[in-house]
Amino acid sequence: MAGDRVFELRRASVRLGGVDVLSDIDLEIEAGERVALIGPSGAGKTSLIRLLNGTVAATGGRVRALGCDYRVASTRKIRAARRRIGTVHQHFDLVAQLRAVHNVNAGRLGAWPFWKAALSLARPFEVASAEAALRRVGIGDKLRERTGDLSGGEQQRVAIARVLVQEPRVILADEPIASLDPARGREVVDLLFAISDETRTTLVASLHDLDIALGRFDRVVGLRSGRVVVDTSTADVRAADVAELFRTDRDGSS
Amino acid sequence: MTLTAKALDERVGCLPPSAVPNEPPRRAGGGTNRRRWWLLACVAAVVASALPVVLDDHPVIRVDGLRQLVEFFAAAVAPRVDGGFLALVGASAMTTLAYAVLGTAVSLVIGVVGGVLTSQVWWRADAPARRTRDVVGWSLARVALVVPRGIHEVIWGLGLLIVLGRSPVVAVLAIGIPFGAVTAKVFSELLDEADRAPHDALLAAGARRSSAVLYGLVPSALGDLLSYAFYRLECAIRSATILGLVGTGGLGTELLDSFRALVYHEMWTLLYALILLSALADGWSSLVRTRLSGSRSRRRGSVDGRDPVVAGSVLLAAALVVASVWWVRLDPSVLWSDRSARQASMLAGQVWPLVMVDGGLAELLRLAGVTLAMSVLAMAIAFAVAAVLAVPAAALPQLDRVTASRARRLPVLLAARLTMIVLRAVPPPVWALLALFAFYPGILPGAVALGIYTAGVLGRLMTEVVDNLEGRPLRALSALGASRRQLVWYGVLPAAAPRFAAYSLYRWEVTVRETVVVGVVGAGGLGVLLHHQLNSFHFAQAATIVLTIVLLTLGVDFVSAAVRRSIR
Repeated sequence: MAGDRVFELRRASVRLGGVDVLSDIDLEIEAGERVALIGPSGAGKTSLIRLLNGTVAATGGRVRALGCDYRVASTRKIRAARRRIGTVHQHFDLVAQLRAVHNVNAGRLGAWPFWKAALSLARPFEVASAEAALRRVGIGDKLRERTGDLSGGEQQRVAIARVLVQEPRVILADEPIASLDPARGREVVDLLFAISDETRTTLVASLHDLDIALGRFDRVVGLRSGRVVVDTSTADVRAADVAELFRTDRDGSS
Repeated sequence: MTLTAKALDERVGCLPPSAVPNEPPRRAGGGTNRRRWWLLACVAAVVASALPVVLDDHPVIRVDGLRQLVEFFAAAVAPRVDGGFLALVGASAMTTLAYAVLGTAVSLVIGVVGGVLTSQVWWRADAPARRTRDVVGWSLARVALVVPRGIHEVIWGLGLLIVLGRSPVVAVLAIGIPFGAVTAKVFSELLDEADRAPHDALLAAGARRSSAVLYGLVPSALGDLLSYAFYRLECAIRSATILGLVGTGGLGTELLDSFRALVYHEMWTLLYALILLSALADGWSSLVRTRLSGSRSRRRGSVDGRDPVVAGSVLLAAALVVASVWWVRLDPSVLWSDRSARQASMLAGQVWPLVMVDGGLAELLRLAGVTLAMSVLAMAIAFAVAAVLAVPAAALPQLDRVTASRARRLPVLLAARLTMIVLRAVPPPVWALLALFAFYPGILPGAVALGIYTAGVLGRLMTEVVDNLEGRPLRALSALGASRRQLVWYGVLPAAAPRFAAYSLYRWEVTVRETVVVGVVGAGGLGVLLHHQLNSFHFAQAATIVLTIVLLTLGVDFVSAAVRRSIR
């Protein structure tokens, strides 16, 4: 394992259906960093997140996550790496039909054998830790509710509780607040930072909200048309770079 | 992945009204023309199938048999109702129900396991190194399920009887295996259709494939699967009865015994019991499916465990499984007994290598042609009868104002529905035996028997189509003062006709498989020869015929799917 390095991308590219989604990405993320991914819609933020957790395969270059090279590693190795990477998705991607407790426990599936996962659906295992996780995110009373019946904000909290019981070394968050109103969005960001603090977890989040990205994170990575065009600490980021990042073609090209 | 029309049709009955596939937008011009050609082709096929019957100078109708037919129907008013016989009928009905319940349970197990193994999502490579293995595994699993699906329950029953001897296991497996293969196909498509995001999220968090499918996909497919299982239970009652005719016990066996002895009033008691059982199963299955689709539209595709009807039905079904095991004294040990192993190796040894039937390929092809013609005639009869029954049977809930005329129409509606229940409750071989009173053996009695039975099944599907039609055009017609008859001709039939045609084409394939069943009682085609060969222990020739039927079914399936795609 490469020391404290969490992610290492070398000239990583993703081509889907003849379109270059990501091109020649060089990126290193060290343990404990808090990185905000910013960029206009379609810049490739979600693809980059998926490249990091291995759900999208690089069509060129190399991606190492927690010392595991997705391209050549065995399925078992890949699963072991993924177990240490928790992802919070924009649309939560929870199973609406299951009770909250099962959706939280789903974070443990990587560690559980199949029989335990199956039995748990009949009578949930490790209820105490699931309930503690839900309490930590502020909805301890929703343990037995059907997930599809919860509000958007509550579902996002269930998704975060799932990551909590997963006990990952990295949390990836793909537009974690884009589906929420500003007040709830801020609460969710606070929660992610608090968790990252308590458990010393690396945090990588893609965001549309520049105030939060520049105000809370240590480092920003700006994507445009599938390329990294900004990569600096938030303290050093220049307004002109950010403006350039979000320039639309209508603004007139230079 | 887009669902094939076939899969949608196989799942008919489990779809909520809103999910009944709407027709995609019509392609301008070409569609109408194409439809006209297909209509012409259909008429030509029916005429060609009927031609041998018409041209044959042997008499077709048996005048002397008509008296027996009258006697038979006259006995309807005087069924045998003494206590001893009623007890026998009750016990037989329980046995038939038990086979149906256990067969459905086995089919669910096969369907769930097979469904996962034949889904694309299960075999989707998550490591490049495994891509080849995944493609091979998926293809093998698919192929493994084609053959059991193409072989009718009765053939499974006859084969299993040879291997296992007389045992309840025969009936249970004869239903469970082919039903399981169909359920597997439906379940795999449900899994592949379900939203992948929750499943992918689990994989991304390091879950193994099996756990990711169980947590991420199964819950959202479970409601539809449950619906489908209840629909299959209803079909299983019919299959269990038909299996009784080859001697596995239950109402079918008793029915055949009474028929052989020509004791009509006993037959009627058995038929009434069968109709009652069938109606109860239909009613139960409709109730559960309506509840499930209701809960689905309320809350995005969920199994609402809190719905008392659904929860109670699942519990009742589970209790029925246990009770059925006890009632038929199911003893699975015959599966691994020495005798069964010997019989199985004997059968395998005699089946392979295949032997051409007497008369050679020409005879085989001629019989395949007869079978095909019989199925086409049967479908023509079924379509006509079903369409005539479906319109009065429809409640037309779209016209939501409760009018006095609806109450007046209630007797007509009930009569039409009851007729369809009777048509499909009586097994096709019994219809065939009755038809053999009226007609000389040949293609016609078989076609009439299958046509009448299929009309009952098809009529029900058509009624559902009419009741699920888009309501606005109908309300508009009704608002401008159209009478019900005008409503039917201007609103209902034009809108429902394409689905009627699609369902009929789908049932055509099923009917080809079912020609075997009427063949067992001598009503013509490959089925008759198959029965002779099995009775004289010519297993290699029998296997050739089974293979021919499977190929014929696949061919018809192919043609029917192509036509359905084309007319949509």
